[in-house]
Parts: sequence; structure tokens; C-alpha cells
Amino acid sequence: MAGGLAAVPCVIPASVLGRNGAVPPSEKIILGGIGIGGRGTGVLQWMMPEADVQFVAVCDPQKARREAVKRLVDNRYGNSDCKVYHDIREFLATRTDIDAVLSTTGDRWHALAAAWAMRSGKDIYSEKPSAMTIAEGRAVADTARRYSRIYQTGTQRLSEANFVFAIELAKSGRLGKVHTAYAHIAPWDAAEMRHDWLPGEPEPPKDEVDWDQWLGPCPWRPYNPQYTRGGWRGHYDFHTSCIGEWGAHTFAQAQAGLDMLDTSPVEYEYVNNPTGDGMVTRFANGAKMILSRGDKYWHGSCGMRFDGPEGWVSVADGYSRPEVSSPALLDEFNKIVGDYTTRTQRPMSHVRDLFNCIKSRRSTVANADVMHHTMSTVHAANICMWLKRNLKYDPVKEEFVNDAEANRLRARAMRAPYAF
Amino acid sequence: MTKTISLLIITSALGATLVVGQNPTPLVNKAPAELIAVLQSQASHKDKADACRELAVVGNKDAIPALVSLLADEKLSHMARYALETMPDPASDAALRDALPRLKGRQLAGVITTLSVRRDAKSVAVVARFLTDGEPDVAQAAARALGSIGGSEAVKFLLAALPNVSSQNELAFAEGLFRCAEAELKAGRNSRAVAMYDALRQRPTKLHQVRAGALRGAIVARGKGDTALLRDSIASADYIVFAAAVRASFELPDVEVTRVLIDALPQLSADNQIVVLKSMGRRGDAAALPTLAEIAKTGQKQARLTAIQAMAEIGKPASVQALAAVLGDGDREIAQAAQESLASVPGPEVDQFVMEKLDGSSAADRMTGIELVGRRRMTSAFPALLKSATHTDAQVRRAAFRRLGELAQPAQLPGLLDLLVGAGNSGDLSAAEQTVTAVCARATPPESVAGRITERLGQAQPGNKSALLRVLASIGGSDALRALRSASKDSNTEVRAAAIRSLGSWKTLDAAPDLLDLARNAPDAADRAVALSSYIGLANNSDMPAEPRLAICRQAATLAQRAGDKKLLLGALGSVAAPESIPIIMPYLQDAATKEEASAAAVSVADALLKGPNAAGVAADLIEPLRKAAEMTSNADLSRRAKTVLKQAEAKAGK
Repeated sequence: MAGGLAAVPCVIPASVLGRNGAVPPSEKIILGGIGIGGRGTGVLQWMMPEADVQFVAVCDPQKARREAVKRLVDNRYGNSDCKVYHDIREFLATRTDIDAVLSTTGDRWHALAAAWAMRSGKDIYSEKPSAMTIAEGRAVADTARRYSRIYQTGTQRLSEANFVFAIELAKSGRLGKVHTAYAHIAPWDAAEMRHDWLPGEPEPPKDEVDWDQWLGPCPWRPYNPQYTRGGWRGHYDFHTSCIGEWGAHTFAQAQAGLDMLDTSPVEYEYVNNPTGDGMVTRFANGAKMILSRGDKYWHGSCGMRFDGPEGWVSVADGYSRPEVSSPALLDEFNKIVGDYTTRTQRPMSHVRDLFNCIKSRRSTVANADVMHHTMSTVHAANICMWLKRNLKYDPVKEEFVNDAEANRLRARAMRAPYAF
Repeated sequence: MTKTISLLIITSALGATLVVGQNPTPLVNKAPAELIAVLQSQASHKDKADACRELAVVGNKDAIPALVSLLADEKLSHMARYALETMPDPASDAALRDALPRLKGRQLAGVITTLSVRRDAKSVAVVARFLTDGEPDVAQAAARALGSIGGSEAVKFLLAALPNVSSQNELAFAEGLFRCAEAELKAGRNSRAVAMYDALRQRPTKLHQVRAGALRGAIVARGKGDTALLRDSIASADYIVFAAAVRASFELPDVEVTRVLIDALPQLSADNQIVVLKSMGRRGDAAALPTLAEIAKTGQKQARLTAIQAMAEIGKPASVQALAAVLGDGDREIAQAAQESLASVPGPEVDQFVMEKLDGSSAADRMTGIELVGRRRMTSAFPALLKSATHTDAQVRRAAFRRLGELAQPAQLPGLLDLLVGAGNSGDLSAAEQTVTAVCARATPPESVAGRITERLGQAQPGNKSALLRVLASIGGSDALRALRSASKDSNTEVRAAAIRSLGSWKTLDAAPDLLDLARNAPDAADRAVALSSYIGLANNSDMPAEPRLAICRQAATLAQRAGDKKLLLGALGSVAAPESIPIIMPYLQDAATKEEASAAAVSVADALLKGPNAAGVAADLIEPLRKAAEMTSNADLSRRAKTVLKQAEAKAGK
């Protein structure tokens, strides 16, 4: 049953059985939420119909948001059981019955919330971008391994048939050896970021907006309500620029098609424009991934394209089917997608992939290692633009080659007590 | 068209948002000396914070005194660390260490964390003093810091403090030890890592994640040479232990680990069996295949399904026979899973198996073969599919035709046309026609294969010839049109009707003169009727410009005598959004047999025109027709709509 008023499930939390944090295949997954706003509500509504999932509590430093989630959840289940928390540390420490969390905070909190949740023994679905810096990504990947946790980032196109087809087609050799991937970056904002502060206003009562916690690991700045309404985007402390906004999706997509999910490009060529449009990055094997801001290679959002000597494939949101150099390539659409799902046992549902993996303890498609490598590409591209020079990167050592300033941008000191 | 209409909207939106965000500024704006001067001045909090941020990129040891002086500052301590944490100069370490005694609370916890990020080995002893600090944030930061810095001294401090640690701080201490153990493991000192993991594993705790993490580490650090712990843990009745052991097995791809999983299976609960079977699939070790094959055959249903899926994940030809054995299983879900798995396993062995099925004696075997040929896109199976298309079983024949339509290439048309021309019943003929149509559509351009079709017309029976004509209509081109024109005068009634209807489905208006001529002059009345309705049908093609469509309507109006033809004509006129449509429609409003269709057509045309670019110019001429339409129709909804559009026309006409 998908839930609803007439279908209040009889839930036996795993903790009652002495299994908190580990859910056998036949049992329900008890889910909590962190920082659920507009995007998070969408993901939550995608998760709640899953028959083996029960959402029980939400944590947010903003009262209006946590109360809105409670109303949504209670309305769905026809009760008033959803609990609310404003302090993330209390939430994670006390709700030992929760097996997994959905974290859809602003970007600044993604990595830390994920690490804290996993350290608390919870599996997690964390929205993109998975990290603000290379060091944060490393910490998330290490924490997932350390505590045997399951982690999924919200790069949902990795679980959508059109994108999977393009990726698998590129990997299959049907295009020849793919030499170039194009990855979409957001057509708004710049690579360069804001460093200004919005005018300070009196902080609301802590119960309304806990400003200190909202800022989390970021440098303190005076309160302004615009930040809490999405106005954090574009600010260096809170955002990963136009490159990270969509690159968090598309670099993972492109690297998947190039079969480069376990590494990052080794070269980044600076482009003298405000956005990074046209930046060429190269992998150790010579394959290129080129950042593209417009709609030259696709028509729609979060596009990607793969070029090989024998053809090309391109796809973005809104396509009924990918575009290909030869219609014959699409003849194999069902076979390629079908083979992928059978060979990997991954469903064409990003949230279902998480839930299946929670039960099987297998890694998700957008696991912490994959996201660390692909977000490192985002960070390196940003650093290239910020320093306005070409960079070389060693993805094994996770450091830039002979560039001390670039290396100093791999991490940012986190504000206590919001640290890994 | 490969994209939906919404795509256009997205594209437009993208075009409109190519705007660079507000107020971006360079990362670094000042030289280090200037930045230091800002810190030493009475500059604002914001200016000093900015200076720290820039010093984090370009600062050198000259900045250390100014930064250290801010470490106790509640507002700027974090930003001072922000600059010091990334500074390569080791003088930063000493300055941070020296600052520790005069700090407390968040500022102290922050500096301890910065020392850990910098991996300052010299700070171990001084940081260890804070393991027992009364402030949990400080004690926890110290425990995690010692873990990040690592080394035997740090481990000693952590292990010594562990027995007395408060429950509040327990997780941070475990975190510290985990970090130390990972460093040892990375350095290849596995026995030291094992000792730490075991210390954590054997310590009573309520923290399930610590138990899971310690067990995972202990198993991985022991490696393939010592699988006893893995063996015990997989067999554990404690699900935390079991699940952590399974997770650890993913990090150990060795066959010894596969054997542990195989050995454990019989004793596991149904739930745990599923988890282990899934892990076998993901691990990809072919050594698990015999076990998976056995379970696929004899296990409980869910285990059987999982084993079949795991074999597909391993993807080795060795699983072919096992999967084949359950293909015909009585449980449809099992059989389906086996079929999907077989379809995805690569290699010639599976292809060979599929070919044998396709050549099988039973209809069921052939159906399986045909299904797998499609899923595997086995173009090499064309001859066998052709053969199946003449099988005695109708279901097999239809399935074979479907696959041929998906897989065959234009070069293979002769064989397919043999089947079409030789089809003896309507079902086979229809299937063959669809197949040939699909294959012709893959030719580039489709017209290039018209000759292949036309050369068969002479030898085909009327029904088969009619099918060939429909194929010709689907591919278009002058050769095909010529053939249809000729066939429209065929001596056989059925062929003539098919040819005329095919002319009516022509994709362009090139067939219009032929149809008009037939509608006027065909000797047979039935042919004239079919030709007229087909002719009117061409006017419905909204991809064509309005003027030639109107010309067709005008001609058709002179010929349409039956009410049915008139209604068809009005339907076509309603789709031509041109002012000239209205005068053609108007007379039909007076006719009781056509007034409803005429009203609808008039309203539809008027509505479209009023939404168009020349609405003001045509509005006045639409008022009377709309009044008449509203008056003549006896359909209340249509009358209401006519009046609504009428008001719009009046408004646009200024009346």
C-alpha cells in the first residue's frame, strides 16, 4: 500500500527489534528529514508512496519549514505523529529509531549533515551538491565507509532511462571510443561568486530561526531573511557557483559515460569569461569533458552529450528520447536500458535505489565515492576560474600539482562546533 | 520528433536566463601586506573577515601574529583559523598550539580542529589534555583531532581514556580510534589496525554504528587470509553484525570471501539469505555461480528470484544452463526473471542457446527464442526468424513478424516481401505489412526502396497487392505515387479501393489532382465516393499551407452531394484557419442535415482567427457568421461557445 488515510501502516521500527540502523528486506525503513524545503518536499513526496517507508520526524532550524513538513506528513498518514526538532545534534542523537534520513538543506550543510547522520548510524539521501569543497567530499566518503553506511546523492538523472541510455551507449563502444563529453552548467549566475553581506537585520527568536545553526560550518555573517528564502545562492560561503549548480548533476552523468566515476580530470583549462563556459578538462586517458552553458549541444536542462568517432548521443531534461547521430542507435534503447537494469539490479527510480540498497547493504548509484570524485571536478573547475589560470590535478593524491594557492582552496575551516 | 513541446518552453526559459549573477567579486583583491594591515586596523568585522578569507589563499607567516591575536575573539576566531588552517608554513602549527591554553569553548574546540586538519603531530600531547575537558564540544574535538593526527602516541591517549569516557563523548572517541585505525590500514600496518578495531568491537556499547564500523574494519583489516571473523559474523543472529559483515564483503573481492558466503547460506534466515545472495551478485565472483544455480532451482521463491538476478549481475556464460533450466518454470515471475537475465548475459554461448530455442520443436521454445532475439537485438537471427514466420503456430508467426519488424534492415526486404506476397490469411498479411512498413521506414530515404515494392505488384493477389500499395503510401516518392495512380485503375475492385485510399493517406498534396480526377471521372460510383472522401481527407493535413487546402475544399464543395461527404468537408474546413473558409461554410448552415457541423466549423475557424495576428482585421466579418451559427445550432454548448466567440469578435471589431 502506498499509504494515505486508509492505509496507516503498522510500523515496527527496526529499533524495537534491536536492529536500529539495519533493516532486513522484509521490514519497513524508518525515515527522518533534515532541512526539508521546496526541493526536499518534492523528494519526500517521491519517497512517501514507497510501501516500505515510514517518515516519522523532521529537523529544521526554521520553524515554518519544519511545521510545513509535519503538516504534509501528518496529512498523508492521517495522524499527528510526525515529530519536529530544531537542533540537528539532538535530533540525530536521540532518534535512534530512525534508519535513514532525507537531507535537503542548503548546499552549505550537505556534507556535514551527511557525515553527522552517518556517524549517528543512519543511511542517507543527501541532495546535491554533495560537498562544498574537496575536503568535505573526502570526509563524507570516509564516513560512509567507516560506519558501513549507505549514501545516495540526489543526482536523480543517473536513475532515469534517457540518461542511462546515453551513458550506457557511450560506454558500449557503439559510438567508437568516446573522446569528448559535454556537461551542462547552469545558465544563470557566474563562476565568480559574491563575497558581500546582505544588510543585517535583528535575528528572530531562536525557535523561529536558529541563525547560528542555519549558518552551520560557514563564516558568521549578520542575519538577513533573504538568505533563508533561497538568497544564499551565488554567495561564496554557501554555493558552488553556476558550475556546481548543474555540474553536480552533469559532471557525474558525463563521467559515468566516460567510465571515469572513480577519478577526476587531471587538467583544467581556464577560459576568460565569467562563467566557465567552454572550459576543457582532460582525464588521464586523454578523454575530454567540456563545460557548456548554453543549448548548443542539447535543448533542456542538465544536458550532456558524448562524441565518439562513430557517432554521438545527446540528452537533457524534457526529451522523449535522446538525440543520436543515427536513428539506428535508438533501435537498441530498450535493450540497453533493460540490460543495464538487469545487470545492475538498479531500478529506474533514484529513491528506490536508495531503499533497495539500505536493505541489501549494496552501494547506491550516486554513492559517496562517486560523488566525491565528480564533485572534485566541480571544485577544481571553480578553483581554476577563481584563480584564473590552468590547473593540473592529481586525483589519487587529491591535490593540485605545483599550485599552493589552489591546494589551499581544497578546504575551508569549519566554524565550531559544526565540524567533521 | 524526439522532444516534447515542453522542451520549447524550457529552451525559451534558458535563453532568457543567460544572465550573470549579482555582484560577483574576485576571490583575492589585496596583497598579503595590505590584508595584514586591515587586521591590525580598526576596520569593520566584515573587512577583517574578508581579509582572513583572502589570507587563507595568499597569506604567509607574516600574517600569523595578526591572525593569532584574533583566535580568542568570539566574532573573528573562526576567520582567523580560516586563514591559519590552510597556511603551508609550519609556523602556523606552533602559533595554534601556543594559543590553546588561553582559549575556551567554541574557540578552543575550533583551534583543536584546525590542528587536526593540519595533522600537527607535535600537538598530540597538548590536545590529549582536553580529552577530559568538561565541555563536551572540546573533549569531542580533541578525540577526533587525535584520530586525524594519528600515530601510536595518539592511539595510546585515546585507548587510555576510552574506559572512562562519558556516553555523550563515546562516539567522538570511537571516531578518533577509527581514524587512527584507517591511517594504520592505509600504511599497511594491518595488525595495528586490527588491534584498534577489536578494542572497539569488544567494548560493550549501545552505539550500533560503532559496532558495525568496528566489525567492518576488523574484517577488512584481517583480509582474505583470516576469514574466521567474517564467517562468524555472517552467521550471527544479531542483524547489526550480519549486515556489517555483508557490507565488509564488498570490500574483499577474493574468492575466499565468496566461499564464506556460500558456506553460510544454508544456515541463514530467509531475509539474510536474500541479502547474501544480492551481495554475491554485486561482488561479481563467478565462483558463486554453482550455488546460485542450485538455489535458483530449489530455493524458496524470493531466494530463487534473487539468485537468478544475481547470476545476471555476474553476467558469465557459465550461468546459461542454470538460467535455461528455469526458463520454463511454472511460476511466471521466475520464468520472466530467467528470461530477462538470459537476455542480459553477454557472449556467443547465450546467442547459441537462443538460436537453439528459435529452432526448437515446440512453439513455446520458439516463442522464448523469439523474445530473447528481440531483447538481445540478435540481427544474426534473421534467417531463423524468417523461418519462424512460416511456422504452423499462428502465435509464433505473429511474434516472428514483430521481431523482424524490429530487427530487419532494408537490404533484407526481399525475404520479407516473399512472406508478404505469399501470406495466405489476413492475420499474417497484416503482420507482414506492418513488418515491411517498419523496415522500409529505416531506409534512407524510404523512397529508395519503392522499386523493391513495385516489382512485386504484378505477382501479388488482390489482398496482398493492396497491402503493398499501403506500404508504398507510407514511404512516398514519385515512383510510389505512379504505382498508386496506376493501381487506382486496376481491374480489381479491392485493389482500386486500396489504391484510392492510399492516395488519400499521401503525406503531401501531390496526390490531390489524381483523387480529384477519380472523384469526378472514375467509372465506378463506389470508386468516386471513396476518391471524394479521400480527397477531402487531404485538406485535413494541418502540416500543409491553408491556400491549397482551401482549394481542395472549394473543389470538393462542387462534388459533395451526400450528407456524409458534406460533413467531412465541414470537418476539414473547420481546421483551415483562414477567412476564406467562412464563405464556403455559410451555405451549409441553412441545411438541416449539416447545420450542426457547419456551426462547429464556423466557430472553430472564427475562434482561431480571433487568436491570430490579424484578429482586428477580420473580426467584423466574423460577427454575422457567428450569430448565425449560434442561432442555427441546437447544441447548447456549441451555442454558448459561439456566443462567447461572438463577443470577442465584437470587442475586437470595436462594436
